[in-house]
Amino acid sequence: MAIVSKPNHWKSLRARETRLAWSLISPTALIVFGLVIFPAIFSVWVSFHDVGLHNLNDVFHAPFVGFENYRKVFADFAFKFQPGQSWGAAVTSVVYSFTATILTIFVGLIAALLLNRPFRGRSITRAVFLFPYVAPIVSVAFVWRWILDPRPSGVVNDILMKLGVIDLPIAYLATRGLALLLVIIFDAWRYFPFAMLMILARLQAVDSTMYEAAEVDGANTLQKFWNITIPELRYVLGAVFLLRLMWTFNKFDDIFLLTGGGFGTRVLPVLTYEFSFRLFDFGRGAATAMILLTILAIFMAFYIGVVMRSDEDE
Amino acid sequence: METERKNFIDHMAAWITWPRLIFSLALLFFLTSILFPFYWMVSSSFKTHAEIAGREPVYIPEALRLEAYKELFDPSHPSYQDFGANILNTLKVSVPTAMIAVFLAVLGSYAIARLKFRGKNFLLNSILLVYLFPGVLLIIPLFAMLAQIGDRVGFNVQDNLGVLIFTYLSQTLPVALYMLTNYFRTIPDEIEQAAMIDGCSRLDVIWRVTLPLAIPALVSVSIYTFMIAWNEFLYALVFLNNHAMFTMPIKINTIFNDPTPRPHVVMAASTIMTVPIVLLFLSMERYLEEGLTAGGVKG
Repeated sequence: MAIVSKPNHWKSLRARETRLAWSLISPTALIVFGLVIFPAIFSVWVSFHDVGLHNLNDVFHAPFVGFENYRKVFADFAFKFQPGQSWGAAVTSVVYSFTATILTIFVGLIAALLLNRPFRGRSITRAVFLFPYVAPIVSVAFVWRWILDPRPSGVVNDILMKLGVIDLPIAYLATRGLALLLVIIFDAWRYFPFAMLMILARLQAVDSTMYEAAEVDGANTLQKFWNITIPELRYVLGAVFLLRLMWTFNKFDDIFLLTGGGFGTRVLPVLTYEFSFRLFDFGRGAATAMILLTILAIFMAFYIGVVMRSDEDE
Repeated sequence: METERKNFIDHMAAWITWPRLIFSLALLFFLTSILFPFYWMVSSSFKTHAEIAGREPVYIPEALRLEAYKELFDPSHPSYQDFGANILNTLKVSVPTAMIAVFLAVLGSYAIARLKFRGKNFLLNSILLVYLFPGVLLIIPLFAMLAQIGDRVGFNVQDNLGVLIFTYLSQTLPVALYMLTNYFRTIPDEIEQAAMIDGCSRLDVIWRVTLPLAIPALVSVSIYTFMIAWNEFLYALVFLNNHAMFTMPIKINTIFNDPTPRPHVVMAASTIMTVPIVLLFLSMERYLEEGLTAGGVKG
């Protein structure tokens, strides 16, 4: 009897644990499923149906339209790549995300190298360096707009005019090309602290005897940086690149607040918003979001499958 | 005097080496470009309309004038904004969001970190998938879904702070869950085992042993979820129409887009929104920095 009851006892304990686990996790699982997984799947459905403000109350009976929404998006002048006139949202998105990510990581790397040296006031400097990342996006975006004010009384205009760099005030965020460049610089300004923290954590873990050995061999600072620091940072740089690229590609707030998506800065998230909540064509909005997700997924698959695998082979 | 100055210059010349010079210049460049926008925000908020609208920018306001703050808070001002109500709305949304997210995430992440059950990895991975989904993708189906549910059950989707809290959970819960799971995994299992041998039940163990040990993580996760809700822009923009229900970000956007530009008012409102967050961060920096790299702030 005793021999049989013991496993039984353990089994029931395990069953109890499982039951407990599910009861602990079910509220969270339910909310995540209801608010993230299901909506994500549902938005695929929406992208193939004609959903607008008129049938929002009866959305599940919206008429099926096949690829019509996608066709409309591809034909839209805001999406299409028209050489010489406009890049269109897809190309703008790709250019913006890649450039902003690379610049962010570059600035973050320099900041991390600066903070990796001991100097007086380092910890307060490190805290200050995190300000742009911690401050609310709305505030910092509007401060930038106010600094880049197109009137002669804008700070940047005033300084550049006094220095004699420009004669007339410039509407920085309302000039094609310049607007995109400034949005990219804004992103580097705002998000470099993330890259900096990741890189800094890795830098502090680098074995210092490697540098000592290199010094014995007579390597200079640049050689040490190139042959020790960069290889040591390779994985963290790759991880930061992937995360930042993903987040930048999905980013709506920054561009919407800085330029409203005008002057050559209309990226896919902004276009999705415009289709959905300006034209109230939710089907077309969802189709745009799906295109965004597809581009992202293709890139991720390529990056993880090709770039990261070739790293392993080396 | 002459020799003294020469000595000083000699001293400086000896101190300055190329690497030091480059280092100092780079540091100076970083500090100015980071701090100038913040200085400009705070200083502009204390300028008058005349100072803001002049031909040349005023670099240092002559006095701390409260004209902009009066427009935000003083009911007798001709274009009174009632910003107090917006602050209150933001708090009404962000405090419950943080509390609910942390409460649910404690339960969920404990189960993921400690208990064995089937489907655990699938669950964890699908929760992490959120990092891949842009907020702008989820808002369309969420809007359509909630409009439908609201129609059936009888609540309004628009201008409903409760609905907003609910949608913010979709952004905060995964982050909270991820951070807390990582933390619970660092607490040695043996401590809990010992308590269980002493006759505590699982829930007792969570309440008496694990949670007290996890206080630093609980603090940082609460602050992160609070910050996400405090800063959130897109969902509030879509779900709120009535000025009385606006949270701070949407209100600031509205003031900015007003036909008569009043940058000093925008800057005053931005200052009010930024200062508490930056102070909160500075006071808790030790706890929070780790969370930043763990994806505490998505974006």
